[in-house]
Amino acid sequence: MRTIILFAATLLIAIAVNTAAHAADPVVVLKGLDNPCGIAVQPETGLIFVSDSAAGKVVKFDPKKPLTSTDVITDFPISSYGKGPEYAIGPLGLAFLDKNTLVVGGGGLDDGAELLRVYDVSGDKPIKADKMKTKIGPLTAGDVSIKGEGNFYAVAIAGNTVYVASNGDDTKGWVLRADLGADSPKLEGFIATKEATGLDAPVGIAIASNGLIVVGQMGEISVPGDSLLTYYSPKDKTLRAKFKTGLHDIAGLAYGKTNLLYAVDFAWIDAKQGGLFRLDSDLKGGVSTKKIAGLDKPTALAIGADGAIYVTVFGSVKKDAKKDSKEKPGTVVKIIDTP
Amino acid sequence: MPRLIAPVVVSAILFSAAGLSAQDSSPPKVPLGLPPLSVPKDNPQTPAKIALGKQLYFDKRLSRDNTVACASCHDPAKGWSNGERFATGVRGQVGGRSAPTIINAAYWPLQFWDGRAKHLEGQALGPIANSIEMDLTIKEAVERLNKIEGYKKQFQAVFGSDATGETLAKAIASFERTVLSGDAPYDRFKAGDKSALSEAAQRGMTVFFKKANCTACHGGGNFSDGAFHNAGIGMDAKEPDVGRFAVTKLLGDRGSFRTPTLREIGRTAPYMHDGSLKTLEDVVEHYVKGGIKNPQLDEEIFSLRLDAKQQADLVTFLKEGLSSKSYPMIKAPELPK
Repeated sequence: MRTIILFAATLLIAIAVNTAAHAADPVVVLKGLDNPCGIAVQPETGLIFVSDSAAGKVVKFDPKKPLTSTDVITDFPISSYGKGPEYAIGPLGLAFLDKNTLVVGGGGLDDGAELLRVYDVSGDKPIKADKMKTKIGPLTAGDVSIKGEGNFYAVAIAGNTVYVASNGDDTKGWVLRADLGADSPKLEGFIATKEATGLDAPVGIAIASNGLIVVGQMGEISVPGDSLLTYYSPKDKTLRAKFKTGLHDIAGLAYGKTNLLYAVDFAWIDAKQGGLFRLDSDLKGGVSTKKIAGLDKPTALAIGADGAIYVTVFGSVKKDAKKDSKEKPGTVVKIIDTP
Repeated sequence: MPRLIAPVVVSAILFSAAGLSAQDSSPPKVPLGLPPLSVPKDNPQTPAKIALGKQLYFDKRLSRDNTVACASCHDPAKGWSNGERFATGVRGQVGGRSAPTIINAAYWPLQFWDGRAKHLEGQALGPIANSIEMDLTIKEAVERLNKIEGYKKQFQAVFGSDATGETLAKAIASFERTVLSGDAPYDRFKAGDKSALSEAAQRGMTVFFKKANCTACHGGGNFSDGAFHNAGIGMDAKEPDVGRFAVTKLLGDRGSFRTPTLREIGRTAPYMHDGSLKTLEDVVEHYVKGGIKNPQLDEEIFSLRLDAKQQADLVTFLKEGLSSKSYPMIKAPELPK
């Protein structure tokens, strides 16, 4: 009966994507990044921290002084993702527990060996990746996860609880959970999103103002337009609602200052269709998807202290770039949405 | 049976099977266990259109030498495939891939083994025009249809015009969209009928959903993610079929093919995109070994620790658990002259 009620309560409303881009011009505020994959804004200071993933480090910059960054954490392990195109990845999702405590989702180790790392970032000098304050995980192969978990794409925090969008067991599609207030925090399989939705790959994650866990279910990278926006109760893990968005591959989610929900679409199948989107939704009425700006393979987003939207973008090497050029095409762009 | 009565009777059966009434053009009700079915807004399901599409599906006059119909390679009596390794077209020409089943094809966002067509409407004309399969240009096909009084009248009634390439595709797609299989013993078991599956099938179901990692790709109500994966099949050949790569040109898609549904899998042998595995036992063995290694082998395919009994139970689940008593065994209608 519980299952029936759940399904009855689950809304599935198809929508059409409004692809007419909103008038919002992305401004590059940091460049030369190598597959940037995560972004978070430091409480109180407004400094922006970025996973410079293929470079194996986390850097920070002041949005008031763009284009200059400093290393915060270095020497993360790096591995590759994809079978062509293939992307080097290291640290992925970022989130602050408080001003000085940064949680970093790893992507550079194998499934079943990957870690969630917690750092004290109050100092001025760069920290080595293995000098974390707290190590959480791994979640190894076993009954919970047939392969073990890895590729911690995104991290969201509510109170002392951290939720992690994880890749690993594709029969489950885990959102993992850890209690950062515990003496020895552990990673646990919390929501089996594939079992709940029938679709692969939780990637974007955010916490709604009503406390629900909001998950962007990326879906299959070879299937167009299958990404879902989903809401789960943190109390009983139940799926409260799911919506078709029309987006190809939701890679990141974040709530804006006025509680508007934004998503970035990596669009594996056709990068020209990727970008920043606003998802206007409620649990009853469905969702409408509006394109704010076209972006070349965006991966994550965060809302700055100034209310602007900051997005990490893989970008592409320019066709006329010199072969020996070491300039990396990754950027952080700033976008101001005026709904 | 008088010619005028036959289509009415056939149509009535068809409407009933598809959950449609004569006045209802809403999406068909689907059998137990299947997800909701979406229908293109510009091609709503209507009983008359489905009946027309059914006739076209079985009509060999849509091939160059009047020997091959859609149903020739996608035969309801053979799991809506053809029971052979490859599809065979006009003049005995043999293709390089097996004929995928039509069952539940309504759910595929991308059609064909390599996903080169969108939805059923995008797929329907491909085999007619393919020189190996039916070898008739769409222009020729439409000309033939418009010379057949029975078809001409039906196209006029359904679409308000003579047959065109677009309406030909819409009619066939509308019929194919009714070929659904659900309400299998697995669905009934899941709905609470604990006698619906044998003990062996129940054990196999547990293996399927846990240890065998099957639902990494064969998940959801249609037992398929609708996506494209490289299972290594044929990748040890000198010049392997590159599958989806030919469409997308993405290296990661090399050797990838669409995940087939597992519903009615017991009826659709031989298996895989090239029909190279004769039995489900062979298929399970392939996956237990971890597929055939190649640079694009899907990360979800790795060696499995399944003993002989677990493998046998898994096959029992696939055969017994996913074969429906309400299998869409549709017979060829009387064709217009």
